[in-house]
Amino acid sequence: MDPEGAGPVPDTLKIVVAGGFGAGKTTLVSAVSEVESLHTEEVMTSESVGVDDLEGVEGKATTTVALDFGRITLDQTTVVYLFGTPGQRRFSFMWEELAQGALGAVVLADTRRLADSFDAIDFFESRGVPFVVAVNCFDGQRTHRAEDVRVALDVEERVPLLLCDARDRESVKEVLVELVTLVLRLELSGA
Amino acid sequence: MDGVPPEGEGGREWSFESSLIRPYSLTGGRVRPSRTDFSMTSQVVAVPRTRPVRVDPELELILSLCVRPVSVAEVASRAGFPLGVARVLLADLLDQGYVVVHTSGWESHRPDAQTLRSVLEGIRRL
Repeated sequence: MDPEGAGPVPDTLKIVVAGGFGAGKTTLVSAVSEVESLHTEEVMTSESVGVDDLEGVEGKATTTVALDFGRITLDQTTVVYLFGTPGQRRFSFMWEELAQGALGAVVLADTRRLADSFDAIDFFESRGVPFVVAVNCFDGQRTHRAEDVRVALDVEERVPLLLCDARDRESVKEVLVELVTLVLRLELSGA
Repeated sequence: MDGVPPEGEGGREWSFESSLIRPYSLTGGRVRPSRTDFSMTSQVVAVPRTRPVRVDPELELILSLCVRPVSVAEVASRAGFPLGVARVLLADLLDQGYVVVHTSGWESHRPDAQTLRSVLEGIRRL
């Protein structure tokens, strides 16, 4: 596809950022995005699969998932999108779509609510999506030891786990570097 | 934390019981696009010189947003439509030849090592 005058069409990479409410997903995305964090939503009925028209849909419970996302243009040919998505299982219909074709995922953990990360970790593990766990240290102080968090989350050694400050661009870059390094390692090992 | 909320979205991540009728009134009630070419990161771009003479305002809005290549998610975000609505409308525009769509091959297979290395370099350079 090369519509006249529209410029080159870049290839895109997608990275999913999953975390519980208040874990700092939007903050993390904004820290590296070249545009102000964008926002959209997906509306899903409880019977979304197979619904072709809206007859009788009135009154059915629907769920709206907010998606915050950002964009990083690496060069003319490559654009990375970061999608933040809520980490609770009831939003897993969104994870399915986000995980499809994703380069990998960042599970953003909040030490005050570690249990909020379990569902996302299980999901990415079961789908074979490469992921890293980033522990957001809101206070800027690394009061937690990464190894303690690893034990608490029961995350295997082969899953990279690091502390981060979601507000800090350099810190978020480190998280993304860790993720892409993991993906590269998998690629080289033929996994 | 200096009183800064950890999340920038003002606290609303989800809601139940919202009405499907309103967002999908723009699509004549259709909740599924006529085709499935559009992933969230698919790039869409308006085809030059095919701009329809008369077009619905929401389609006009979408066409104006993809003068240059832009992702489906960005079209939805900038137009203020839910993702599903944007997909239905984009599919209509694609059917009529007003836009073209490109989905990265990286959606179906992992990028090769060379690409991943240049992605790493690119992130470090940010």
